[in-house]
Amino acid sequence: MSATWPDLASISVGDQVPELQRTFRLVDMVAYAGATWDFHRLHYDTEYVAQKQLPGPIVDGQVYGALLVQMLQDWLGPQSFVHTLSFTFRNLVFAGETLRCSGEVVGVGEDRIEVRMSVVVLEEDGSEGRVAAAPCSATVLVGRPDGPGAEAPA
Amino acid sequence: MTGSLLTEEVLALRGRTVTYTAPEPFGAVAGRYFGMAVGDDNPLYSDAEYAREQGLAGVTAPLTLICETNQYAGLPMDEEGYPGHTWGLDLPGTRQVRGGNSYTFHRRIRPDDRVVATWTIDDVAAKTTGSGKEMLVITSTARFATVEGEPLAENSETIIFVSLEGSQR
Repeated sequence: MSATWPDLASISVGDQVPELQRTFRLVDMVAYAGATWDFHRLHYDTEYVAQKQLPGPIVDGQVYGALLVQMLQDWLGPQSFVHTLSFTFRNLVFAGETLRCSGEVVGVGEDRIEVRMSVVVLEEDGSEGRVAAAPCSATVLVGRPDGPGAEAPA
Repeated sequence: MTGSLLTEEVLALRGRTVTYTAPEPFGAVAGRYFGMAVGDDNPLYSDAEYAREQGLAGVTAPLTLICETNQYAGLPMDEEGYPGHTWGLDLPGTRQVRGGNSYTFHRRIRPDDRVVATWTIDDVAAKTTGSGKEMLVITSTARFATVEGEPLAENSETIIFVSLEGSQR
């Protein structure tokens, strides 16, 4: 995570969001299953998924949302708040695969930016393979640490 | 399009609502654990002093964790290990795929928040895939609030049941 973050005045349409890359090993998926209380065997049981004729345990699709929020917050810092986020699933992702999240600023307002993003699977040579999620979009409030529903801290 | 997936039973799903209330406050460890699981070491999830310096009341959790309903549902695991909310739909001759998610976050969750999750089916619709197969599109929204009624987040998602039968055109 960066020690300094851009302020709203320095952000323009067309700016690229620093990419986020993450490999989800089976052990990471077990940790995610525990953290979300989602113990469906699709996410860690290799014998079960083999019976289903899948190439491996399936990465939970909600992971994409967590990664996209992380990418935006890592870029914009603690004085930002992801107000909306949406994405469409395109392809399954399996244990051991590496995801790359990327984005571009498509709008700048008085207190927010609009970002268009994608999540893709990387091939072994590092090139972009199939799309995991797209289109993805977010509205990020900049210059505040919390959302419009927040009350003043006690 | 025959509309054979859009049965009376399926149409009756419109407007169905289920509410789950967490039995205890969210806690601080849940956010720290989730951050570790996704490789997000943002100190907002682990360092209360840092979080207060940023204007928060204390540590929080990664935003999407609010929308993981399993932790509130208190449901038993099914045969496949899933202990969370479903609509109990079993449509023979179809395969189920997830369409996508659309989140709105109102504020960051706090460890002392006790969450109420309310799921509602917004719509069910029969459509046709590009290859001519019938599919059933179910759109639902989960609204997350504190037990005091403060809105935290909404999550609209789409589940699609695609007929395994061949093209109808």
